Amino acid sequence: MELIGVILGLVVKSVIFVIGMFLLAAYLTLVERKFAGHIQQRPGPLHVGFHGLLQPIADALKVITKEDLVPDFVDKLLFYMASLLAFVPAIMILAVIPFGEKITLFGYELKPYITDLNVGLILALALGSISIYGVIFAGWASNSKYPMIGGLRKAAVLIGYEVALGFALVGPIMMAGSFSLREIVEAQQGFFGAFIWYQPIAFIVFLFAILAETGRTPFDVQEAEAELVSGYNTEYSGMKFGLFPLAEWYIATFVLSAIAVILFFGGWNGPHIFGPFSSYIWFLLKLGIVFMFLLWVHWTLPRYRVDQITELAWKVMLPLTFINIFLTAFIVVIKG
Amino acid sequence: MVKVRYVERPTLSTVEKIFFIDFVYGLKTTIRNFFRKTITTIYPKEKLVPPKRFRGTHAHRAKDGNEPPSFVVLAKFMEIHDYESRCVACYMCQQACPMPTLFKIEAEQLPNGKKRVTTFDMNLLNCLYCGLCVDACPVDCIIMTDEFENAGERRNQCVIHKDDMTERGISFDRRRGNEPDRIWIDDKAREKLWGQIEWT
Repeated sequence: MELIGVILGLVVKSVIFVIGMFLLAAYLTLVERKFAGHIQQRPGPLHVGFHGLLQPIADALKVITKEDLVPDFVDKLLFYMASLLAFVPAIMILAVIPFGEKITLFGYELKPYITDLNVGLILALALGSISIYGVIFAGWASNSKYPMIGGLRKAAVLIGYEVALGFALVGPIMMAGSFSLREIVEAQQGFFGAFIWYQPIAFIVFLFAILAETGRTPFDVQEAEAELVSGYNTEYSGMKFGLFPLAEWYIATFVLSAIAVILFFGGWNGPHIFGPFSSYIWFLLKLGIVFMFLLWVHWTLPRYRVDQITELAWKVMLPLTFINIFLTAFIVVIKG
Repeated sequence: MVKVRYVERPTLSTVEKIFFIDFVYGLKTTIRNFFRKTITTIYPKEKLVPPKRFRGTHAHRAKDGNEPPSFVVLAKFMEIHDYESRCVACYMCQQACPMPTLFKIEAEQLPNGKKRVTTFDMNLLNCLYCGLCVDACPVDCIIMTDEFENAGERRNQCVIHKDDMTERGISFDRRRGNEPDRIWIDDKAREKLWGQIEWT
């Protein structure tokens, strides 16, 4: 009986998380469009609803009801699988992300995460990497030149940043002594307990990896509107197309920003000034700031070439992470 | 012998390389733009007034007493009443036009010996709004106005005729006849950009 209760609780929680993430991602598109518009001194969506508040719903309806074309001679299995492969792992990372402290409401203890794995961070990294295969498969399966180039470019970038990303996370993990995201947050107490003060190099490398993994601007070689039509998703249409930007630009960025907040900015730690929901509000506030920073970088910078990205990843970022690991290990050993 | 000149490309200093100084400059620019007012117009609600020299839909000036001397010479051979198009059917505009079939101008001789313009049609679907017809007109009749919303649902709606051109010309002169002929609507905006003009 207890098992059924646990399973039911998990299912309900997962459904809430997935639906919530869907709606959030839809509205993140509006946030991005407004932000990008104002950076370019134009207002962005303005006419659907008050200042474009209903625009995501209109967009979703449009994308869902559009004709779903499948070009001839595509690799059918991979073509259908690619958009799901990009989307599902990106949203599955949510399973290990804690959004705040446990709270007790009406006698029930509510945990704001689906599961607290002791290898949560590793799982998040693994799922993030699987999500990239969606892009590469889409490029391969489309049987078209521009998507092919886009997919191969993404593969080339992947080889560069994944290594640096893995090594960048070693520093915070060593300081916290755990892979569990909840325990990493609990290791950073107080304003000066946040790991950003001790791991600035790791943070910069992690920022680089987020931008490369989510295909945001300095490293958006796989889309490269000016060169590759629309990159890997050129041959897609309808909701199969809609899932790609949703997964890459919004869900993956959101989730990786959450991991950045957990690893470097002390997660939900903060003064208890918002009452019982203080931890959630702090977490979402920090998350929003990191997300907006990524948007800001995206709408400012031009694009690196693939060879420059690889060079940056292997010649600059990877040595930096090694230096960081040695320094951290040294300090951890000395302090005991 | 061609002399090749090599231009030294600007390189980043070490400090700029390490701390991504140029990134910071870019971020500063974008965030400053973010807090500025938008420069767009919400088109169907707000409409910009084009400058007076804007090359919009064509119009005919009417015979209203401001004709140039060349018209006064020709006027005694023409049957033109007051506030009618001052066109004398000289076909200069048709000659100047790069599109041979754009104009359809017809005139007839009345029993009293005078000439009367019966048809002046322009097929604006073929028009490229170059303004050569305006330059060619000897009696300052055909002009281009500031009206730019001349899309139609059918092709024949894009053909303009003598009467509605005259109407448009009268309304254009009434609206903007007294306005000084200048490119910028706003002299202050021009001075800000180009500085004061110093006439010799």
